[in-house]
Amino acid sequence: MKRSLRSWLWRIPVDQEIDEELALHVEMGTRELIARGMDPKAAREWALSRLGDVERLKRTMTDLGRKRDRDMRVTQWFDELRQDLRFAVRQLAGAPAFTLVATLTLALGIGANSAIFALVDATLLRPLPFGQPDQLVAMWETTEKTPRSYVSPLNMLDWHTRGRTFEKIAGFTPTVGGMVMAGADGNAETVSRQWVTAGIFDVLGVTPIAGRTFSQEDDVKRANVVVISEALWRTRFNSDPSLIGRELRLDGSMWTVVGIVPSGFQLIGQSSMWAMRPITNLPPRARSAYALQVVGRVRPDVSIKAAEADIGAVAAGLAREYPQTNAGRGVRLEKLHDSMIGTDLRRTSMLFLGVVGFVLLICCANVANLLLARATVRRRELAVRSALGAGRRRIIRQLLTESVVLAVIGGALGSLIGAAILWVAPSLIPQGLLPPMVTLTFDARIVAFCAVTALLVGLVFGVMPAWRATSFSLTEAIGSDSRTVAGGGRARALLVVGEVALAVLLLFGAGLLLRTLMAVEGFDRGYRAESVISMLLDPLGSKYPTDEALQQFYDQVEAEIRAVPGVKDVAYADALPLDFFDAGGFSFEIVGEPPLGDNERPITEYQVVSPAYFSTLDLPIVAGRGFDARDRGDGLPVCIVNEAFARSFRGKSPIGQRVSLRPAVSPQSKPQVREIVGVARQVKGRPDEPKDFVQVYVPMAQNLSDDIFLVVRPTSGDAEALVPSIREAISRIDKEQLVSVRDIVTLEDIAWTATGRHRFRAVMVAAFAALALLLAMVGLFGILAYTVQQQVRDFGVRRALGATTGDVMRLVIANAAWVIGTGAAIGLVLAALGGRLIQTLLFGVQPLDVTTFVLVTIVLGVAAALSILGPARRVARIDPAVALRNS
Amino acid sequence: MSKPSNALLHGALDALILKTLARGPNHGYAIGRYIEETSGDAVLVEEGSLYPALYRLERRGWLEAEWGTSELGRRAKLYRLTDAGRDQLAAETAMWRRFSAGVSKVLLST
Repeated sequence: MKRSLRSWLWRIPVDQEIDEELALHVEMGTRELIARGMDPKAAREWALSRLGDVERLKRTMTDLGRKRDRDMRVTQWFDELRQDLRFAVRQLAGAPAFTLVATLTLALGIGANSAIFALVDATLLRPLPFGQPDQLVAMWETTEKTPRSYVSPLNMLDWHTRGRTFEKIAGFTPTVGGMVMAGADGNAETVSRQWVTAGIFDVLGVTPIAGRTFSQEDDVKRANVVVISEALWRTRFNSDPSLIGRELRLDGSMWTVVGIVPSGFQLIGQSSMWAMRPITNLPPRARSAYALQVVGRVRPDVSIKAAEADIGAVAAGLAREYPQTNAGRGVRLEKLHDSMIGTDLRRTSMLFLGVVGFVLLICCANVANLLLARATVRRRELAVRSALGAGRRRIIRQLLTESVVLAVIGGALGSLIGAAILWVAPSLIPQGLLPPMVTLTFDARIVAFCAVTALLVGLVFGVMPAWRATSFSLTEAIGSDSRTVAGGGRARALLVVGEVALAVLLLFGAGLLLRTLMAVEGFDRGYRAESVISMLLDPLGSKYPTDEALQQFYDQVEAEIRAVPGVKDVAYADALPLDFFDAGGFSFEIVGEPPLGDNERPITEYQVVSPAYFSTLDLPIVAGRGFDARDRGDGLPVCIVNEAFARSFRGKSPIGQRVSLRPAVSPQSKPQVREIVGVARQVKGRPDEPKDFVQVYVPMAQNLSDDIFLVVRPTSGDAEALVPSIREAISRIDKEQLVSVRDIVTLEDIAWTATGRHRFRAVMVAAFAALALLLAMVGLFGILAYTVQQQVRDFGVRRALGATTGDVMRLVIANAAWVIGTGAAIGLVLAALGGRLIQTLLFGVQPLDVTTFVLVTIVLGVAAALSILGPARRVARIDPAVALRNS
Repeated sequence: MSKPSNALLHGALDALILKTLARGPNHGYAIGRYIEETSGDAVLVEEGSLYPALYRLERRGWLEAEWGTSELGRRAKLYRLTDAGRDQLAAETAMWRRFSAGVSKVLLST
C-alpha cells in the first residue's frame, strides 16, 4: 500500500488544509523575523507579503489539491481492491470444501445457462445470415380456412410485377427432393435438390463463391441450370474449379452447373443443390398450383405493414380478374426470421431459457446459503475488523469481492461446461428442430454472456449474506461464543423454501412434458410392424418412360425381393405412417350428397400403396377388402378409406360408395371419382395430431409415381441385416444400376424421429429439474446439518431430561417438514398458475394434471426423506453426557 | 532582498524538496528555510512556487502528508518522503550530476 491509512483518517477538506498550512507558514516566518529583532507588526506584514498574491496561490493549491485527492481516491480504490482480492483468495483457499461446492454449483448453473443462451442467441437474437435480413419477408396466400397457403407461381409473378413495395420476390419448393446423379464410374447416387425460382439468390442477397447464380435469362430460356453447395463441390467434386459451366447428368437429363454458393446457405430443409424451375410462360392452370414458399425483399424505405397493404391490393385485383381460382385468396407477410425459426422452436428456446434461469436462481440461493453459514462462523473475525476501524461499507465490499471472486471462478468453469455441452449438443438435438442455417457455436458472445452472468450472480448471491453478516452488535459478537449464535437461521430457511418451490415448479413442468412424451410414444399406432424397413426407390424416369414399363419394373423388384431369404413381405407406398409431410392433402366429396363449395370440402390425406402394403405393415382391413390384382391401372378406380374417413358416412357402410377427390391445392381440377372397397384401421399421421386424421388409400397401379418407398418386412429379427441382399436384388433387375436407393430406415426409426421434439424437450427439462431438485436437497441438507450441529447441546439437554430418540428426531423432522411443506406449497401454486404457459407444448395431458401433481409430491417426498436422513441420524446418536460435557 | 535569477533552479526545486525531506518529515516553512540556509541563501525559495510544488509531488506519490505537531505546538501538515520519492530523488540527483558536469565542462573550459 502506497499511502498510509493515517493520512486518510485525518483527512480534512482541501480549503481548510490550505488555510491552516499557509497560516502556519506566516506564523513561523513572523516569529523568525521577530526573533531577529523586527517589530512584530512589520514582521507579520513582511511574512504575508512574501506569499505574493495569496488568493492566486490558494487557487493554484486548491486545484492541485483536488486533483491530488481524486488521484488518491482512485489509487486507494485499486489498492483496496487488490487487498480485497488477495484477502478473498486467501479466505477461499482456507476453506477448500466450501470453495469447491460453491464454485461447482455456480459452474453448473452458469454452464447450463450459457449453453441455452447459445440456443436462444442462434434462434431468437441473431439475424438470419442473409444481406439486410430485416427487409426479408415470407409471403403466404391466405384463404378463409388456411392462414398460410403456399403460393402459385403465377400469383407470385403478378405480385412481383404489380406490387410497388418490393425489390424482388422469388420462391422455392418447401420440400427437398433428390436427383439421381450418374457418376463417371457408372454408379448412380442421389443428391438432395431443392427447386427454386430464378430470383431466389438475389432476393436473399447470396453471393456465389464461384460462378454465378440464376438470371432472368435462364428463366426465359427454360435452361436446365443448377447451383450447388460448397460442401458438395468440395466432397463430391474435390473442389474442382472447372466444374462451373460443366454439364451433369441428373435424373437422366443434362444440367449445367452455373455457380457454387457458400456452405452456410440453406433454405428450409438441407439441400446440396438448387435447380431452377422456370416460371415464365406458364400455362394458365398453374394459377391454382399452390406449390411455392415465397420470399420477398421489401424496399428499404417501406414498412412490412405498408408492403402487406400493397400486395393485399394486388391480390384483391387478382381475385377480381381470376375469380375462378383467386376469389377469397389474400396475402399474409411475416418476417422471414419468424417464419424460418418457427413458433415451436421459439417456444422451446424460451422454455429452456426459463428453466435454466430457475436453475441458476437455485444455484445462487445455495451459494448464498453457504455464505450465510460461513458468515456466522466468521462473525468474530468480522467484528474484530470492525472494531479496528473498518466501516460497514468497507466490510460489505470485502465480502462482495469474495462472492464475485467465487462467481468469476464459477463463470470460468461454467463457460468450459457450456463449451462441452455445445460440443456434444449436435448429436442430442433432434433432426429438424433447428433450421439448417442455424448453428450452435461457442463464441465470444457466449463467453461475454458467462462473464456478465458471473458478475451479476456474484452480486445477487453476495449482497444479502454480506448485509446480514455485517449487521451485528460488536460486543455481542466478540463476547459470545459462536455456538450460541444462531444467526441467519431464518434467512437461510427462507432461501431453501424458495429453492424447494422452484424445484417443485421445474419438476412439475418436467412431469407434464414427460407425460406428453408418453402420450405421443405410447399411443396405438394402428399397425404392428416396428421392424419393417423402408427405403426410397427412385428409378430414372428416362429409362422407364411409360407407366407399363415402370409398373413392370416395380413388379419385378417386388418379386425379386420377395424371393430373398428372410423377407416375409414387400410393398410400396408413397408415404409412411408418422412421416407425412404437409403436402396439403386432397379435398373430397361423397358422390350422391349435395355438392360443396371449393372451400367447404373436407380434407383427407392421400396415400398411394401397393396391394401388399396392408399385410406388410400388419395393418388390418376392418371392412370390405384390400387391394388385389383386380385394381390395375385400367380397372375400376377404387380406394380404401380409414376409420376416420368412414365416420363421414355417419353410420352407413362406406363400402360401395363413391367419393370424388381433388388435390387441396388445386380445387378447380377435375376430380378423381373412386369407389370405396374397404376400410383400413386408423393409423397416426403425426404423433401429436389433435384429432384422428382422415386418410384414403389408392392402389399404386392407378397412380404411379417415379419415386416411392419400398417397405420390407423381415420374417424375424433385424431388418437392417437384409439391406445388402435387398440392394443386390434391385440391381439384378436394373442391371445398369440407375436406380437410386436412399433413406434406409425402419418404421421404428421414423416413429422415434417423429417424437424427437417431445423427447428432446422432456429429457432436457427433466434433466434440469433433476439438477434443481438435487441442488434444493443439498440446500436443505445444509441447513438441517448446520442446525443440528448448532443445537447439539440443546438436544443433549432434552435427552438428559427424558426425551426419547423419537422426540428429538421429531424436532428435526418438524423443522425440515416446515421448510419442505412451505416450499412445496408455494411451488405447486406456481405450477398451477404457470402450467398454462407451456400448454402449447403439451399433448395428451392437461396443465393441471392431477397425476403429475401427485408424482411431483412423491418425488419431492422421497428426495426430502433422503436429505433428512443424515441429520436425523446424527441427532439420534447424540449422547447426552458427551453433548453436555463438550459444551 | 534582491531576487537572484533562479529560473534555472525552478525545475530543480522538486529535487531540492525531495532531498530536504530525505532527512526526515517536515512542514512547508521548514523545507523552504532549510533549502535557503543550506544553499547559503544562493537559492531563494518563493512561497508561490514551494507550495504548488509540494502539492504536485504529493499528487505524484513521491511525498505523503500527515498531520503532526509543529515546534509551536500547533497542528502542522508534515510532508514525508515515500519510497517512490526516494527513487525519484536518486534519479534526479544522478541527472543533476550529469547535467552540471556537462555545463561545467562547457562554461569553465579555458
